[in-house]
Amino acid sequence: MKRSLVIISLFTVGLAAVALVVGGWSRVLEGLEVSAATALRSVFMIFLSFVIMGQIQVLLSKDVLDRWLQRFGGMKGILIGALAGGLFPGGPYIYYPFALGFTGKGLPFYIFFAFILGKNLYDFSRIPMEVAMLGSRVALVRNLVTFPIPIMAGLLSQRIFASRTLESIFLQTGERDGADQHNS
Amino acid sequence: MAQTNTILSIAALLLILINAKTNGRHGEGLKAGLKQMMRSAPLIVGALILAGMIEVLIPPEFVEGWLSKEAGLKGIILGTLGGMIMAMGPYASFPIIASILSSGAGLGTVVAIITGWCLLSLNKLPFESGFFGLKFYTYKLILSIPFSFGAGLVAHAWDMILP
Repeated sequence: MKRSLVIISLFTVGLAAVALVVGGWSRVLEGLEVSAATALRSVFMIFLSFVIMGQIQVLLSKDVLDRWLQRFGGMKGILIGALAGGLFPGGPYIYYPFALGFTGKGLPFYIFFAFILGKNLYDFSRIPMEVAMLGSRVALVRNLVTFPIPIMAGLLSQRIFASRTLESIFLQTGERDGADQHNS
Repeated sequence: MAQTNTILSIAALLLILINAKTNGRHGEGLKAGLKQMMRSAPLIVGALILAGMIEVLIPPEFVEGWLSKEAGLKGIILGTLGGMIMAMGPYASFPIIASILSSGAGLGTVVAIITGWCLLSLNKLPFESGFFGLKFYTYKLILSIPFSFGAGLVAHAWDMILP
C-alpha cells in the first residue's frame, strides 16, 4: 500500500508539473476539478464497496474455502477452485501464503492455477468498486468476458500437467523445502 | 448512478443480514470494511487526483487514434500492455482506468486494460515468482497475454454489436 502511494504521488506531481507547463495553472485546476467531481460522484459508492468487502470477509472464512478446494477434482474442481479464488478475501499478503499452504497436500496444479486466476480475475469483493468507478455496463461486460478465463486456464493446465502438483512442476528443491516449512 | 447506488445498497444490506443471521459477525464485518476504507483513503484520494490530471492531459487525437473503439486492435494491444505496467491495487487502478474511459477509450481497450492489470500487473511479479517460482510466473505470463488480448477482442466485438 505504501509503495502504491509513493508511485501515485510521484506520478501525480509529475503530471501536475506537465499540466502546468502545457496549460498553466488553469489546466492544473481543471484536473483538480475533474478529480473533485469524480470524488463527489463516487464517495457513497466507494463507502458501500467497503461495507460489502468487510461483510464478504467475515462470511467466507479461509477454512471454508480450504475445505472446498480439497474436496473436488476435474471440471468441478476447476470451477470450485476459480470461484473460491474469487470469493477469497484479502490482498496478496494473505492469499499467496494461503495458496502456498496447498503444497504438500496433493492439490492438483490445475485446480491451484484456477484458484489463482479466479482470485486475479473474479475477486468478487472488488466488483462494487469496479461498478462504482467504471459503471455497470463496463463492469458487466468485463466480468462476463473474463469469466471463462480461469476455467479455460485450468482445463489447459490439466491437459498439460494432468494431476501433477505445483511443487512437482515448478518449485525447485529449495523452494519446496521453504513451502514444507511454511506448512509445518 | 442512482441505480448503481441502489444495487450496492441492497447488496450491502443483504450481506449484513446474512451475516447477522448465520454467524452474528456483521458488526465485525462493518468494522473490517471501514478500517480497510480508512487505510485506503489516502491512496484513493491520490489516485483520484492523478486520474483528473490524466483526463485533462491525454490528447484527444491520441485517444481517437490509439484507444477509441475505432482504434480496434491497436487499442487492445496497447490496453493489454498498459494493464501490465499498472503496478497498483484496485483503489489506485480503477480511478485511472475510469479517466481513460471517460477520455473516450473503447470498451475493448478498457477490458484489455483491466484484464491485463488483473492477470499480469507487475506488482504480482515479486509475489508469484517469490512464492511459486519464476517458472510459474513465466507459465502464467505466457497463458495470460493471449487471454487478455482475447478478452479485449470479445469486448470490442460486443461494443460493435451492442453499442
